Amino acid sequence: MVPKTQMLPKFKRRQFVYYSDLIAVLVSRELKLLYKRSLLGIAWTLINPLLQLAVFSFVFRGVLQVSIPHYASYAFSGLLIWSWTQTSLVQATGLITNNRALIRQPGFPIAILPIVTVTTGLIHLLLALPVLLIFLAWEGVPLQPVVLLLPVLLAIQFGLTVSLAYPLAAMNVTFRDTQHTVAVILQLMAYLLPIFYALEQVPESFRSIYTLNPMVPLLDAYRKILVYGAMPAWEGILLLGALAAVLLPLGYRIFKRQSDRFVEEL
Amino acid sequence: MSPIAVSVQNLGKRFHRFHSNRPRTIMEAALSGWRRLKPTDYFWALRNVSFTVAPGQMLGVLGHNGAGKSTLLQLLGGVGRADEGSIQINGRIGALLDLGASFHADLTGRENVFVSAIAAGLTRREVQRRFGAIVEFAELEPFIDSPLRTYSTGMQMRLAFSIAVHTAPDVLLVDEHLSVGDIAFQTKCLDRIMDLKANGCAIVLISQSAEQICELCDQGLWLNQGQIAALGEPHAVADAYARRMAAKSLPQPNQTYSREIEITGVEILDANHNPTRYISSGEGVTFVITYEVHQPLTDAIFSVSISHEDGQIYFNTHTAIAGLSLPLEIGTGQIILKLGRLDLVSNQYFANIGVFARDWSHTYDYHWHQHAFEVGWTPATGGILHPPQQWEIRQKSSSISV
Repeated sequence: MVPKTQMLPKFKRRQFVYYSDLIAVLVSRELKLLYKRSLLGIAWTLINPLLQLAVFSFVFRGVLQVSIPHYASYAFSGLLIWSWTQTSLVQATGLITNNRALIRQPGFPIAILPIVTVTTGLIHLLLALPVLLIFLAWEGVPLQPVVLLLPVLLAIQFGLTVSLAYPLAAMNVTFRDTQHTVAVILQLMAYLLPIFYALEQVPESFRSIYTLNPMVPLLDAYRKILVYGAMPAWEGILLLGALAAVLLPLGYRIFKRQSDRFVEEL
Repeated sequence: MSPIAVSVQNLGKRFHRFHSNRPRTIMEAALSGWRRLKPTDYFWALRNVSFTVAPGQMLGVLGHNGAGKSTLLQLLGGVGRADEGSIQINGRIGALLDLGASFHADLTGRENVFVSAIAAGLTRREVQRRFGAIVEFAELEPFIDSPLRTYSTGMQMRLAFSIAVHTAPDVLLVDEHLSVGDIAFQTKCLDRIMDLKANGCAIVLISQSAEQICELCDQGLWLNQGQIAALGEPHAVADAYARRMAAKSLPQPNQTYSREIEITGVEILDANHNPTRYISSGEGVTFVITYEVHQPLTDAIFSVSISHEDGQIYFNTHTAIAGLSLPLEIGTGQIILKLGRLDLVSNQYFANIGVFARDWSHTYDYHWHQHAFEVGWTPATGGILHPPQQWEIRQKSSSISV
């Protein structure tokens, strides 16, 4: 059914260049649109988490008296990391339904769209990273060499997010309220993650349920390398990597199987 | 290059019909107990479609709305999956469909060129190399760094068209609105398409216009309800299509006319002046038209034509040809046309009777496809006429009459 392609090395290389160009141009389109449509442009990337940080810091430190060392760095890192996954998933869910033109374009690799969305989110995260560095410096936390593991963690989170984005995007074609449902669930999920509080504050009996959420060990690993300059738990990282390696092809397969009827249902 | 650019074998595409109350949201689906999610029925949008297109060839696909043309184009473009058969495309595919659909109004012309061209299959470097040519072709050099929302629709179409034809596809899918902009630009578009074709690009064009297919294509394909109604030489396919369309678009019976004169009866008489619905080929036939005049007129024209059920008119005459002047007074009357012989092949025909104003400016009354009769029997020859005939063979030594 699919146009047959010869797998000559030269062809493969062109294909690789093509896909990376395609991702780059679509990501930059997203960023440019965001930048052009608003007065504050890219600054929104920072304003949103900073406002949240301000409010939640007041609530958790001022009202609820949470005492976590380097609280600003702790909370802000958690917030950045979670909002990458959260916004990517919400946006990715609406991808197919919002991109009719591209879906109908002959030869367009639809499966690239969720990758574009998650990459866009990653760029927002990277743009906000300097602010985290300022918080770290402000709270007197020196960066340790272990921070070099950051790309590994980012890669794992990238894989996990994309593998969830695939089935959600496909599901939204059949059920148009998937996007709203996902948004609500993820909003609530934010409270069930140790972003503004520590896992240790969660009652013992709930803690094991908490750690079933792959986001929990992931957040922990990020904080270890960024805030505490410590080696994250290896087995946790390996497990997460393995999970991403299993979920990614699975999500992709579901998406692919559904993608044949996207045009029919749009 | 492979000798075949597009090969379609026995293609079939099924569309599902769903329950009319099919849940569209998770909430509804849960409330309805996850029922009514499965398709209730399906229909074939395409079935048993096979053809090939060679590089440098243009295939024209004819058919009216819903005949499966767009579905065919989508499947060729790898959008959606066929349920039966196979499609093989050799080379990169390009499209002149939904022109400008992926444009974004807030981006500049330049940014849109990059997004669209890369989405259409070029790498960034390839776009850079062609950028000048794309902008030049679209005649948009002074505006290319302005946001697209400042462009007129025509400018956007020109840009979209230019991008599409500069992707150097091996196979190009085109829908009928293949030319955009003013006449000069349209000519340029067409020239460009012909250039691509001359350079070995295989083109599949979908159209509702038989003329367009005749003018441009090397091969015609007529799709009717998802099946091939005709495939082959474009003129033959276009003719068959045009005839079918004409039959559908001609005036329908029971249309209301001004009725200053009304045709109240039509009788068809055979050679023996007996009313009949059956004429032997080669016999005479008489049409007796009874009319009623409601308003006195200085003159009118009566016409009689004979047509086939596909709308093709084989014979047509009227009183003005005969130089008849017909002053008409209120009341009824009859007008009779006698044909000495009718040499049509055996088939079903219609006698069509009309009454028109002297200058044809309007129709008083018209009976189209209301009076059927049959001509019989002649051998099936595939032609239209069956005049008296005689073969003669002349050889050197003798002559034999058959």
